[in-house]
Amino acid sequence: ARNMAAARRHKRVAASQPGFLRLKPDLDHSASRIGHKKRVNKNKKKNWNKYSDIQDVEEFLEDVRLQERATGGLLSDKSDDGLFFVDVGEQKVRPDPGAVEKKGKGLKPLRIDLILQPDSQVPPPKDILAYQQPNARKLRLMAQKAEKLAAMGVLPRRERLLQRRRIPGSEKPVANNDPARAFYDLWRPDQGCDVFSDPPPRWQRPEKLNVKPSLLPAVEVAAPGASYNPDFTSHQALLLEAHETEVAKLKAEEKLARQLAVRKEDLATEESVFREQVEGLIEEEEEKLEAEEDDEGTAVGPTAQTEKKTEKQRKREKADRVKLQKKAERKAIDSRQQLFQLRTISAELRRREQQTSVRRTRRKDQQEREKVQPRRLGKLRFQAPDLDVQLSDELSGSLRTLKPEGSILKDRFKSLQKRNLIEPRERAKFKRKFKVKYVEKREFREIQ
Amino acid sequence: MGGLQKKKYESGSATNYISRNKARKKLSLSLADFRRLCILKGIYPHEPKHKKKVNKGSTAQRTFYLLKDIRFLMHEPIVGKFREYKIFVRKLRKAYGKAEWGTAEKLRGNKPGYKLDHIIKERYPTFIDALRDVDDALSMCFLFSTFPRTGKCHVQTIELCRRLSVEWMNYIITLRSLRKVFLSIKGIYYQAEVLGQIITWLVPYQFAHDHPTDVDYRVMATFTELYTTLLGFINFRLYQTLNLVYPPKVTHSQPAVMLHFDLLSDYLTSALLPFLPPRFAEPRWPPVPRPGGLQEDGEKLAERLKARQDQDRQEKLFEGLKFFLNREVPRESLAFVLRCFGAQVSWDKSLCIGSTYDVTDETITHHVVDRPSLEKQYINRYYVQPQWVYDCVNARMLLPVEDYFVGVTLPPHLSPFVEEKEGDYVPPEKLKLLALQKGERPEQEEEEEEEDNDDSEEEEDEDQSDDEDELKGMEEKQALGKASSVKVTPGEAKPVNRQRAEQEAKAEEKRLAVMMMKKRDKYLYDKIMFGKKRSVREANKMSAKRKALDEASKANKKKKLKK
Repeated sequence: ARNMAAARRHKRVAASQPGFLRLKPDLDHSASRIGHKKRVNKNKKKNWNKYSDIQDVEEFLEDVRLQERATGGLLSDKSDDGLFFVDVGEQKVRPDPGAVEKKGKGLKPLRIDLILQPDSQVPPPKDILAYQQPNARKLRLMAQKAEKLAAMGVLPRRERLLQRRRIPGSEKPVANNDPARAFYDLWRPDQGCDVFSDPPPRWQRPEKLNVKPSLLPAVEVAAPGASYNPDFTSHQALLLEAHETEVAKLKAEEKLARQLAVRKEDLATEESVFREQVEGLIEEEEEKLEAEEDDEGTAVGPTAQTEKKTEKQRKREKADRVKLQKKAERKAIDSRQQLFQLRTISAELRRREQQTSVRRTRRKDQQEREKVQPRRLGKLRFQAPDLDVQLSDELSGSLRTLKPEGSILKDRFKSLQKRNLIEPRERAKFKRKFKVKYVEKREFREIQ
Repeated sequence: MGGLQKKKYESGSATNYISRNKARKKLSLSLADFRRLCILKGIYPHEPKHKKKVNKGSTAQRTFYLLKDIRFLMHEPIVGKFREYKIFVRKLRKAYGKAEWGTAEKLRGNKPGYKLDHIIKERYPTFIDALRDVDDALSMCFLFSTFPRTGKCHVQTIELCRRLSVEWMNYIITLRSLRKVFLSIKGIYYQAEVLGQIITWLVPYQFAHDHPTDVDYRVMATFTELYTTLLGFINFRLYQTLNLVYPPKVTHSQPAVMLHFDLLSDYLTSALLPFLPPRFAEPRWPPVPRPGGLQEDGEKLAERLKARQDQDRQEKLFEGLKFFLNREVPRESLAFVLRCFGAQVSWDKSLCIGSTYDVTDETITHHVVDRPSLEKQYINRYYVQPQWVYDCVNARMLLPVEDYFVGVTLPPHLSPFVEEKEGDYVPPEKLKLLALQKGERPEQEEEEEEEDNDDSEEEEDEDQSDDEDELKGMEEKQALGKASSVKVTPGEAKPVNRQRAEQEAKAEEKRLAVMMMKKRDKYLYDKIMFGKKRSVREANKMSAKRKALDEASKANKKKKLKK
């Protein structure tokens, strides 16, 4: 509406200018009107807007706004380089080394997008409301106070309450094999372990468990022949040992083969085959067999006749009684005679004692030997590990060219088995179990 | 029959033992868990004396445990943790199966774990008990620290083993208590003395090894779990006895560098040492005066003083010497051994961190090389092969460097763990070593003389025969157990050594008694002495063999020279 009013005013003012030609001719050329401007009272507020001409100012401001929109600032403020350039002549279009080469076809921006881009260099105004916070000062003061308290070490109430709620056992435990785990002095007298410091006597470790299952040392040093640069004799001794074990293995195999081999006597000859075929077919042998069977026919069993034997019984009992008496007499005499046999008796006793002592020492030795041996702890027996030995041509005189023999992992594993700490076990084999299929027999299938 | 009669297998050994499966069911654990528990608690199966009784008449081979042990196991809190873990695994699998990722993450965050501290305390109530069992723990930790970091075994375990082994080596270096080293084809054996206990452990070579398939890795991992905890506590206590900070801190110039523990080893052994307080002498007990003969006391005191002096001398074996290790030698082992005896060690900067000086340093006294030949640039240093270091350590003195020069055929590396008794065969190399230790001049090698012209072949033969005789004489003497020959100058009045006279008198008495024995007894005595002298006879056989070999090699060399 303001624009319309301004436009109308503009037209009016323009029409009142001298020499203005109207479309419709003025019929009564009122010369009095020419040269007379209408006199207006500009002191009234109503007339301030109606009869003032601010076109020049408006034009100027429009020009300024246009400059700002188009070039982002007043042209008078711009430098010469931004406005003018020296035309030196035609220049060949050099391709920009940093520019991307021709892309595909449809990568030009859409016309509508170009139209919708802002075409004014005037930046859009900042939205003050977005940056306003009504209680910014209050929040700032609160943050500063909290910082000061935290520097002193006082936690805010919320954290204090949370910590009070924490359960001591529910914290994440440090893993046992964490490389940065901490250790402490376990054997200090007043230090208790967190879980199980002092168990009651009923739950204490039995004494027998503190005895080691084997008296062998934990790490057995290799023989001097196993040095990387051994001297002649010890190397030969070690080779001899290895050789002997191999020979023993071979012997065992041979023995087994010998035992399982077929004997010459068991092989079938023509004679034995013939005899087997003819068995039972010859008549003479049959008669002999029949005769033997008749003789074995009569077998008499004892008959029970109780009454007749009472006298016999009495006689027998008396004989027994006499025997017992004689025995007792003999015993008495013997015990009296033992007094005179003291020397032989003592000799006999000494002999027996010596035998028992010999047996005792032998048993003790056996026990000592067993303490050092690997025990049989399960289904499998302990297999002694192969001797690590390098043959004479494998020996390298230098540490650099040494090829290590045997694996320490296996050595440690076998040592644990040897010391009865673990039982020898073999790897579980993959047994393929087939499902049982149930199939009806043909006959059953036909019956309906 | 009757009701009051004793039934078979109801009391006695049949009720003291329990089979493995029954024990497992009693604890309601799976077999793997049961084995783990037994290993951790130190409960081992027993072989009963009368298997048939325990097995209730059957002779099937079963594994038996003592019933008391299993009952003791039931009070173990770790059993509950195993069951919790089983439940955790089941829940996790369900969550993954139902594709509930949030639940799975939450479960993962609350994974149950357990600690073995109380088990260690229960199995080893005192520190010395734990120290006695540390051999096995050390070998296992060193073995696991050489494993490759694939996912087969927890990488954390490997790193923890590495850290503990490095800490232990650092402690031994500080204490200077390494005594013996032996390079075998399997690995390197070390022996050290810690708080009066002799500890032997085995370290594998740093080369790549293929893993055998018939070893149960789960069992080894369980043992390692137990041993790492044990070794950690022992390390702490040992560092405490030396008033050192545990875990040892590393200060280095490069800020914010993530060091793996394999690199940390060299830092610890190089960077840490300057920061340590001066070496603490192990508290050695003063000699206690014993009541008894003064002579005895004096002798024993003298012995002990001498032993202590020897030990002090041994600990400063390489003191003041500067070593440089070439690229191809086993760096960690040599650095450990050399530092244990007071030497300064360095290597090429591009090999590993922690090298203090370069190869161009003029004050280097020894350069350890393992190549067949090397262009020697510096005159004032010895170029030796690595075996020299180890042999010096075993011989407890600095051996002559000429035998270990670059390209020279090395003398054999003898085992320091072998102690020859009287009458056993002593190889000539060891004899030479003993002679060196006593301070005698080493015998002239025959090979040196063979470099002369053929004119001196006759001289050679003479010398050879002389040497042979000497050798034979020495061997015989060794065989008979006498000391090496004593020089007697004619006409000198020797003071009567009371002890010697006593010994001679005793020997004389023994001979007389042997002469006066009855025929039957003499027969037995001869049999016994025959058995005892067997080792002497074997030693003679061995020396004859060695001589034959030496002669054969000499003959070959002569033939070559003639050609």
